[in-house]
Amino acid sequence: MAQFPAALDAHLRQVLDYDVERRQQVVDLQAIDLQNIAELKDDVIKHLDEHVDAFFSYLKEWPEVVGLSAGSAFFDEAVRLKREHLIAMVSGDYGKEYVEQRIAFGIAYSKAGLDARMFLGGFHALLRSLGAQIMEDADAPMLAFDRFTSLKKVAFFDLGIIVDVLIADRESTIAQQQNAIRELSTPTLQIRERLLILPIIGVLDTDRARQLTEGLLSAIRANRAKVVVMDVTGVATVDSKVANHLLQTIAASRLMGADVIITGLSADVAQSLVTLGVDLATLNAIGDLQGGLEEAERLLGYQLVRTDQPAPARASA
Amino acid sequence: MAVTVPILKQGDVLIASIQAALTDRGLIELRDALTAKVGQFRSRGVIIDVTALDVMDSFATRTLRGIAEATKLRGAHTVIVGIQPDVAFAMVKLGLALGGMSTALDLEEGLKALAARQLEARR
Amino acid sequence: MIAETCLRVEREADVVAARQKGRELAALAGICGSDLTVVATAISEITRNIIAYAERGEIVLKIARRGQRQGVVIIVSDEGPGIADIDMAMRDGFSTGKSLGLGLPGAKRLMDEFEIVSEAGKGVTVMMAKWSR
Repeated sequence: MAQFPAALDAHLRQVLDYDVERRQQVVDLQAIDLQNIAELKDDVIKHLDEHVDAFFSYLKEWPEVVGLSAGSAFFDEAVRLKREHLIAMVSGDYGKEYVEQRIAFGIAYSKAGLDARMFLGGFHALLRSLGAQIMEDADAPMLAFDRFTSLKKVAFFDLGIIVDVLIADRESTIAQQQNAIRELSTPTLQIRERLLILPIIGVLDTDRARQLTEGLLSAIRANRAKVVVMDVTGVATVDSKVANHLLQTIAASRLMGADVIITGLSADVAQSLVTLGVDLATLNAIGDLQGGLEEAERLLGYQLVRTDQPAPARASA
Repeated sequence: MAVTVPILKQGDVLIASIQAALTDRGLIELRDALTAKVGQFRSRGVIIDVTALDVMDSFATRTLRGIAEATKLRGAHTVIVGIQPDVAFAMVKLGLALGGMSTALDLEEGLKALAARQLEARR
Repeated sequence: MIAETCLRVEREADVVAARQKGRELAALAGICGSDLTVVATAISEITRNIIAYAERGEIVLKIARRGQRQGVVIIVSDEGPGIADIDMAMRDGFSTGKSLGLGLPGAKRLMDEFEIVSEAGKGVTVMMAKWSR
């Protein structure tokens, strides 16, 4: 199976082999179509260069499409791939391997930043060239039309795949960005050995709460934390789902041997929790972050002692 | 043939690491073996390491609770160690309660917890 | 790669096989992180019910799509004695016999969708689903 960039994997699973049959059904690919295409094959291959040329001539018209100057290595490679594509298109085998090749193409286009509209335009130019050639070479116009129609089914089969890949790539990027934002907004900080602080700021929805939990539990393991200070000063309100989630996070942390201290619980949030049936006594809640840290240090056996000789202030430049 | 779990003795603590392939029968055999050894060695603590378990369902939890209760009757306290983040999350969502069983991050922490308990008990 | 599998559930080893397969298919459906363990745990709970109450049954696992999201759909069925009072069975702590009965309400808490159909004497069918985020 082709190796896809890891980031694309989850989204691309939509286009893998169990989907092939369905995709063929969508374009209504039948036995008669395969027959028609078999009859087209030799002629199309004879005119291969013409068709490939039609595709790239179209693309070259657009200034947004870069790197397609004749003679560049990139261009030569693109031409070679296009020829291969056309040959595969009339080969009559549109199974898993064919789909994987199309996916690889799609990824290449996506990485090259090829605009979807440009691609569709080029594809259309290619089809036009194929159509013209098939009509010319045929003995009877209706026969030619039928054959071309069969080939068009494969063309749309291809198009479906490439469009899905472009969308998947786009969605994958967006998902990555969203993830990065979420992670940035709920950082887990290790300030002492075995002690983690988790400052929560902003609106806590279930998605974020879930990510918070996963991040915290992983951090507990990675940092071998024994105490977590979860500061919710920045959380204005909680609904029952989020409250539930916080409680689950605390319980799961305990299963991993870490105690959770909650700080910054506002009167409003405390009230919401009580209304939701939470027994505040079961929570280790401490007024403010400083108090929470002190308690955490005490639990861990640290003691902060002030010396009589603080470091001298830095002289200003 | 059920996979037998090796039980190590470290001072007055017995340590058992559960492999992912452990069968239900194997778990029951572990309970019997631990109970017997606690009596034999007069162990004060039992550590059960579940690092290798990728799922802890209600059956597994029930069985572990059974082990903790049986060994408690013979004077030993059980600490479960090595619950993985994903597993902890699923257990909590499932609503599993560990009852009186203690938990710790890993073997090292488990041993420390047992030692601290001992110290506390002697005061 | 298959999008649908059917496994027989008769003994304990089948429970393990079912949850490995469930994990595999869930991963293929784009489900990630702790949700994979959540799915495996729900499968474990429900299939153990079969072994405890019905002797044998089967589990069908398949990848499904709903709009833009993909997910895994799990159907567990048996021809055991069935459940006469489903509401009772879905309450925590309910048990008629060998196990603590956490299986059903627990699995419902774990999954995104959960439905159960049963009649006394006619076995139990549970359908559950988990979608990727």
